[in-house]
Amino acid sequence: MVVVVQRDACVGAGQCTLVAPDVFDQDDDGIVLLLEPEVEGALLEAANKAARLCPARAIAVSAQ
Amino acid sequence: MTTSSTEIENAMSNTAGCPFHARSLPSDGTPLAPSPRFAEWREQGAFVPLDFQDGHEGLVATRYDAVVSVLQDPRFSMLPARMPVGPATLDEPKSEGAAAAVPLELPGDLDEAAQASELLNLLTLDGAEHSKLRRAVTARFTVRQARSREPWIRDMIAGEVARIRGSKDVVDLWHDYAMPISARTHCHVIGIPPQKYEDFVELFVEPSTAQQKYDFIRALLEERRNDPGEDVITDLLNNPELTQIEIEGLLRLLMGAGRDSVAYLIATASVALLTHPEQMELLRSDVEGVRPAVEEFMRAGSMFVTLFARTATEDVEIEGTIIRAGTSVAVSPVAANRDPAHWGENPEQFDVTRDAFGHIGFGYGIHGCIGQQVARVEIREAITALLEGFPDISLVSAEQLEPHPFAHPVAVYEAGEVLVRLTTA
Repeated sequence: MVVVVQRDACVGAGQCTLVAPDVFDQDDDGIVLLLEPEVEGALLEAANKAARLCPARAIAVSAQ
Repeated sequence: MTTSSTEIENAMSNTAGCPFHARSLPSDGTPLAPSPRFAEWREQGAFVPLDFQDGHEGLVATRYDAVVSVLQDPRFSMLPARMPVGPATLDEPKSEGAAAAVPLELPGDLDEAAQASELLNLLTLDGAEHSKLRRAVTARFTVRQARSREPWIRDMIAGEVARIRGSKDVVDLWHDYAMPISARTHCHVIGIPPQKYEDFVELFVEPSTAQQKYDFIRALLEERRNDPGEDVITDLLNNPELTQIEIEGLLRLLMGAGRDSVAYLIATASVALLTHPEQMELLRSDVEGVRPAVEEFMRAGSMFVTLFARTATEDVEIEGTIIRAGTSVAVSPVAANRDPAHWGENPEQFDVTRDAFGHIGFGYGIHGCIGQQVARVEIREAITALLEGFPDISLVSAEQLEPHPFAHPVAVYEAGEVLVRLTTA
């Protein structure tokens, strides 16, 4: 599965980095960085949780 | 069951002009046992009618999905800043904090620049203007930044533990422990030097005028201009995109926002544990469990009965309900955090082993709490230190176990006095 982030929409709440630190990080300004654009298994589960928690809906996980 | 727009309109027209049917926020709840009215409202619909102080008939979102939908929908604005009718809301906010964050009217006797700063409040802005100001301060509130503060926070808390240990037999956990921990962390992250801590408490924890606050902020900025550090003030002073008015407005908001609420959460989590000894023992036997338990403290002990209301800028349909343009919607973290449709069985139960991520305790959406990663560290370390430092701690009394008027027009619970005996001796 493919992860896409919208850095423009990000508000730097850090939920993604907290629940899926292997998939997401924050840059020096707090804005989301995508570490793993393709995820399966436990990473997919974590990425999905991050997408659900993201207060700005800036994360999408999809088949392509 | 979904409430149709017709039902809402009927309900609202039925209540119009009849004070006996007016819907106001219920007064018969406490932080850890909110009013049963919230459960009734959730049963009735995703949105139910609510009266606002200016006579407006709006709605309150009670179900988790509805709350999340409103908070992340850009078609809702923070303006106008309407406040719901609540039980015996106090005439004057007792202390700075959430209420001061949205000035319904400008405080008198403010100089012109301060008036301009006051109007640039992050919590009343939407869109690009909000985004520019919020992004100016996100850098100091990342997960990594919060982790880098851990050693400092732990040391500071060890000092507070030593202080209460040596002071007296019975202490007020809110006033003597939670409040100083929160205020000191606030100063540390924002960049208020330790020698100004007492002044900060006097101006921003005790009552003072808005002009006094701006005078403090301006003197502080002058002092820090040639004295950079690892803090918010340094970032603001180095940001070429910000005006002086924007910097002062941001600091006015940041110095109040979150400080009372972190202290509240530490106090309320303590009360939750002291009144649930089996949960307390569970964490004491495995303090690593405090990290995820912070989410449950936030869920079960949310401070905000409702957040600042959002107003629809156009007709919006959510969960089958049409919310007409101009309608204000109060969203209730307290109700959403106990919605069985989201949390499953026993949402009323305080359970430190629950996966409570996704709670609305820090709000949600673009106005969600910016300091939440630092807050998590503060609450975790404060509770861990209590568990480890005072194996015989017991509750003497807690004001928050009885219903009290909400602390601010925006409807938040107050921590109140939390008296504990630290040792059995």
